[in-house]
Amino acid sequence: MAQAIAPVEPVQTWRRFLTQETIVTVIVGLIVAVAVILPLITLVVSSFLVLDDLGFDTEWGLENYILLYTDRVIPKAIFNTFIISSGTMILATFLGVSLAWINARTNCPWADYLEPYNLIPFFLSPFVGAIAWHNLASPRIGLLNVWYRDFFGAEGYLLNVDNLWGVIWVTGLFFTPLVYLFVIGSLRRMDPSLEDSARTTGAGLLRTTLTITLPLVTPAILSGAIIVFVTSAGEFGVPFKLAAPYGWETLTTQIFTKAVGDDANHYLGATMSMVLGVITVILIWVQRVYIAPRSYTTVTGKGFRPNVLDLGKWKWVAFGFNLSYIFVAVVLPIFCLFIVSLHPVWTAEIIPSDMSMNNYVKTLFWWREDSIRAATDGIINSFILAFSGASIAMVLALVVSYMIHRTKGFGSKVLDILCVIPIGFPGIVLAMGVLVTYIQTPIYATLWILLLGYITRFFPYGQRNIASIMLAISEELDQSSRMSGATWFTTLRRITIPLLKPGIFAGWVLLFVIFLRELSISIILYSTGTETISVGVYYLANFENEALTSALSMTQTVVLLICIYIFRRVAGKEALSA
Amino acid sequence: MIDAQSSMVEITHLEKRFGAEIAVEDFNLSVGKGEFVTLLGPSGCGKTTTLRSIAGLEKLDAGEIRIGQNIVVSADKNIFLDPELREIGMVFQSYAVWPHMTVFDNVAYGLRVRGTKASDLKKKTTYALELVGLDHLADRFATKLSGGQQQRVALARAICYEPNVILFDEPLSNLDAKLREQMRDEIVKLQKEVGITSIFVTHDQSEALVMSDRIVVMDKAVIQQIGDPKSIYSNPVNSFVANFIGVANLFQGKLIGVEGTECQIEINFGNALATKKLLSTGGDNLNLGQQVFLSVRPEDIKLSTKKSTGNVEANCIEGIVLDTVYLGNFLECRVKIGSHEMIVQIDHFEQLDKGQTVYVSFLPQHGLTLPN
Repeated sequence: MAQAIAPVEPVQTWRRFLTQETIVTVIVGLIVAVAVILPLITLVVSSFLVLDDLGFDTEWGLENYILLYTDRVIPKAIFNTFIISSGTMILATFLGVSLAWINARTNCPWADYLEPYNLIPFFLSPFVGAIAWHNLASPRIGLLNVWYRDFFGAEGYLLNVDNLWGVIWVTGLFFTPLVYLFVIGSLRRMDPSLEDSARTTGAGLLRTTLTITLPLVTPAILSGAIIVFVTSAGEFGVPFKLAAPYGWETLTTQIFTKAVGDDANHYLGATMSMVLGVITVILIWVQRVYIAPRSYTTVTGKGFRPNVLDLGKWKWVAFGFNLSYIFVAVVLPIFCLFIVSLHPVWTAEIIPSDMSMNNYVKTLFWWREDSIRAATDGIINSFILAFSGASIAMVLALVVSYMIHRTKGFGSKVLDILCVIPIGFPGIVLAMGVLVTYIQTPIYATLWILLLGYITRFFPYGQRNIASIMLAISEELDQSSRMSGATWFTTLRRITIPLLKPGIFAGWVLLFVIFLRELSISIILYSTGTETISVGVYYLANFENEALTSALSMTQTVVLLICIYIFRRVAGKEALSA
Repeated sequence: MIDAQSSMVEITHLEKRFGAEIAVEDFNLSVGKGEFVTLLGPSGCGKTTTLRSIAGLEKLDAGEIRIGQNIVVSADKNIFLDPELREIGMVFQSYAVWPHMTVFDNVAYGLRVRGTKASDLKKKTTYALELVGLDHLADRFATKLSGGQQQRVALARAICYEPNVILFDEPLSNLDAKLREQMRDEIVKLQKEVGITSIFVTHDQSEALVMSDRIVVMDKAVIQQIGDPKSIYSNPVNSFVANFIGVANLFQGKLIGVEGTECQIEINFGNALATKKLLSTGGDNLNLGQQVFLSVRPEDIKLSTKKSTGNVEANCIEGIVLDTVYLGNFLECRVKIGSHEMIVQIDHFEQLDKGQTVYVSFLPQHGLTLPN
């Protein structure tokens, strides 16, 4: 047994830097830095390039920015964007806060069963929601309006979503879960004795709610509201479907018009993206610097049993309210899509004898002659992109999380900031950056440019999923593996990754879902042959009929619902509120 | 004891269930004006539930509670006063200091909700802050304070509006050892100064012994004993109380004889000694032949290397030293007697070797016979 231990030769200084750890982290760090920063710099630079009248040459100048004020359409588009964002923010905040309060703090019946359904819109495509609501409540062919005319023998229409209010209605419904998640986490983590002590001190229920509970969740409400404002400012699908065709342009629909098409002016598109970008940066900065640090309730990590308010018979009102939300945000749109998709053409009339699955055949069976390429290619491309994109992004996310949370120094701080930037940025802005950066390179018009756009924009979501688990796992588990003699890579493979497995898989499914429904990046970066599902839906909505559009939308929705089910099974109830 | 007229809090037949589980059962207590009563027991014994029931944060399944002149809750009469109407103050384990308010606003909250005039409000709040020594931090946001300071804010907030009774829910258990003792003494001093009726919940027996006028020992949802600290410590009524308050050596045995105050217990130590007859006190209501516990405090046991003589001879047992632990001002020695172990506290520093044969003995009046 007595073996002589050979002395370990000291390694030369420069070789000490060439460890597995530094090589991998430096390479990944550089990739992330280039992927995130390059498009943004190019975007800023291009916004100062002015295209001449012939559309061939460019020169430096501020004309694009001047156009923001002088153009016939753009100033109105900016104004409309503000209207939509403000309206959506108010609606989503109202719904999100009420639903969160009902679920976290009242004895609303069956709240446990309702809760997962409140989150479904978070995973579905707002664009598809807009299509569904168009079929439900457009003045002429809207199913609800048809029923209104039939039942009451009335003229005209009851509801009209083909305007800014319709956009606000649909985006509001779909972004409610964003506020809901912020607020419900805050309500659940709040120490109940904060409210108990107000009661014992002599304040009644109403006074306690107004002076203690509400102020304590205000930071969470404001955070949620700001995220909703920024997200709806960057939302493309809904205004494109419900507002632009009826004369209400927004920034995103204008960027799309300038970025795609025959007389495309990428540079003006870049300038308009700057407006959206600046709004985003300012609001996200306000949220992170002024609001997030005031978040009182996240300080304690203790598990509390929140105070539950007995609503008496009002609990049925609360239950009805929650049920109504699920009905108008999830059930009604999906039901409408399904009904419409069964008809050969949608004439605002349910004709059982005409119903068939033909539209599904046309949009799904790619081997058939009469299949529609934009749809079938879109499905295949989306699956390729979602699968490879989620996988690559999670590898990146893993290494980046490791660098941020397990290494110290300048690099980890820079990466942390780099990971925050894409999270707030509207997809369409980032896509403009990616477009102007890579338009001259061979990856333009391939799936690669879409993949690059997807990963850049969304890998921070995966990174957050991993980071939350990584922060909960003691660093000493890694360190003891190294002490036992394992290399960095072996430690990663045998210890770190197995421990993070639930987080990695949950993040993967989340990204898979996001990529499957992605529209605002795809619509800027796709070209013939590289359509995605959402682009396919856009194509059908523009060039085919409502019935075909609904069939593809329905397909996408079903796939997403299956993914949500898997996500919940894997990630557990708490995964999203973390 | 305290007559009903001068009692500030009167609890009768309180019962609280969580589903099928009984949290508190047949709890009766009368707390006098200005008295400091502690509910003591292990976690899950129902002490916090009782306190929260007094506060109105839990509803009762049976029983009645009166605070001052008002019946605040009665299951029979279907009365339930909301917490804010009970004129109580409460200090929580987690401080529960409102993070979005300054220290002053926290403390003044109770006066504000009572619509106190501005001048009175300022005067009373400042007085309360002076009492806890935080008047210089009045404008600070509460979350910027240390744990001890936050607990002082909570205390000032609870006494500021002069409630009938102040309820403490383990307020010291989040503080570190040194600070805990300091706060403990301050609370007692303040309580005596203001003369406010207090009900204090803790699982820490030393806190209970130091602070209380009376202690209510609870276990398994039931009151085990009520009494002043001295009688609880020296005259525990059962083995649970004996063991929970301080350290007790408990031996199970059979009661074989009673003579006056002394009784004789037969204990099987399971070794060469086999059964040994020991003398102790208590056992008034116990029957001969019954299984009982003999309880002896470590500090009441004599340990020597020679067999002792005299009147303690009857209670002299041979054992073997297992180990000794040095605890600063005294030694604690574990002695093995057959299959049993006994903890003995010795203040003289004699050399004891592991495995050495020693003789332990105690006076009959230091041994206590307790029901099984």
